Amino acid sequence: MKLFISEGNPHCVKVLAAVKLTGVKCDISHVDHEERVVPYLSRPTLPVLLLPSGTHLFTPNAICQYFFEVSGQEANSLCNQWLEWEGTELQPALAQALHLSVLQGKAPEAARALQGPLSFLEQSLSKKGTQFLTAEEVKVADIILWAALYPFMSDSNFMPGDLPQVRRWFERVGLLEACQAASQTVINGKGAALKTFLQKQPVPHSQRRDPQPCN
Amino acid sequence: MALRELSSLEKSLGLKKPNKYSTQGERKVPVLQNSNGPSLTGLVTIAVHLVQDAKRPELLGVSAEQRAVVQQWLEFRVTKLDDCPREEVKNVLKDLNQYLEDKVYLAGNDFTLADTLMYYGIHHIMVDLAVQEKEKYVNLSRWFDHVQHYPGVRHHLPPVVVLRNRFYTSSHH
Repeated sequence: MKLFISEGNPHCVKVLAAVKLTGVKCDISHVDHEERVVPYLSRPTLPVLLLPSGTHLFTPNAICQYFFEVSGQEANSLCNQWLEWEGTELQPALAQALHLSVLQGKAPEAARALQGPLSFLEQSLSKKGTQFLTAEEVKVADIILWAALYPFMSDSNFMPGDLPQVRRWFERVGLLEACQAASQTVINGKGAALKTFLQKQPVPHSQRRDPQPCN
Repeated sequence: MALRELSSLEKSLGLKKPNKYSTQGERKVPVLQNSNGPSLTGLVTIAVHLVQDAKRPELLGVSAEQRAVVQQWLEFRVTKLDDCPREEVKNVLKDLNQYLEDKVYLAGNDFTLADTLMYYGIHHIMVDLAVQEKEKYVNLSRWFDHVQHYPGVRHHLPPVVVLRNRFYTSSHH
């Protein structure tokens, strides 16, 4: 199997950390943001996992879950719930926050865009009372959320308010060698690559989306 | 919207006891109230739970690879298709159409939960497509027609007419 990643893309931190943590054997190929790896998708999408059968997996969370599953760790409902929250609630806020901070230099507005999801995370962590999101051990949900938040939480200038639980959890996950190596490869010192990645993304919709179908 | 989907899914799975649901936030995210455990939030999370509850694990995929593919299209449904900006809808239809070129269902030859939820989520778009557009997205239309005729799936949604006979509309004499 072959994993395609690109520099500066926070989603690639997720899959790289997952592959290192689970020890699944896989060739890693660094490609450009513009590379169209999946033939049926009209927009270049990364990361991509190409399986020996020829199947492409192109969503980072499904790729991470696959690595965990083949290494014998099946996801449970609690993990699924965090993954769905990450995709539907956290990602839209992150897209907006990254756009504001990296492309427009508006750090305070970016922190404000993340306030809702971060305080939800803070509350959930303090209610749950475990070392990690769903248990006393690291699960796929921890890796995915940690990597998603990495561009902000690793920045000492990021001031989202008082989030003691989130900070402790973030540090705990960040101690894992797999996470350090992944962020080192994809993000650290690669501000220019992150910027290029964001410039290639569609401009996020700043207003909250209408819950009704859009046609 | 999501609650009607979940109730149809319960029926198609043959679950006898209907669950209690509420919604959360301005996006009306479904929440499953559980009497003997914590509640579950999110359409995909709850749908997967219902499938497990009904002891139909094959609907989530029969191998690690198929489970990943199912998971991917479930994720696609809630992150790319739902609340899709108007100018992006065509791209989503195009991608699905291209993907389905050599497949019967989203996970290949087997019907899965990904088909059910994608069908529920895309129905309002398919209803509004003109005949020519359905022709343009011929693989997607074929898949849609398969799924709406799949036993027990349609429930709360009206059927959409999909022309199965292609040359009927493209003949020019």
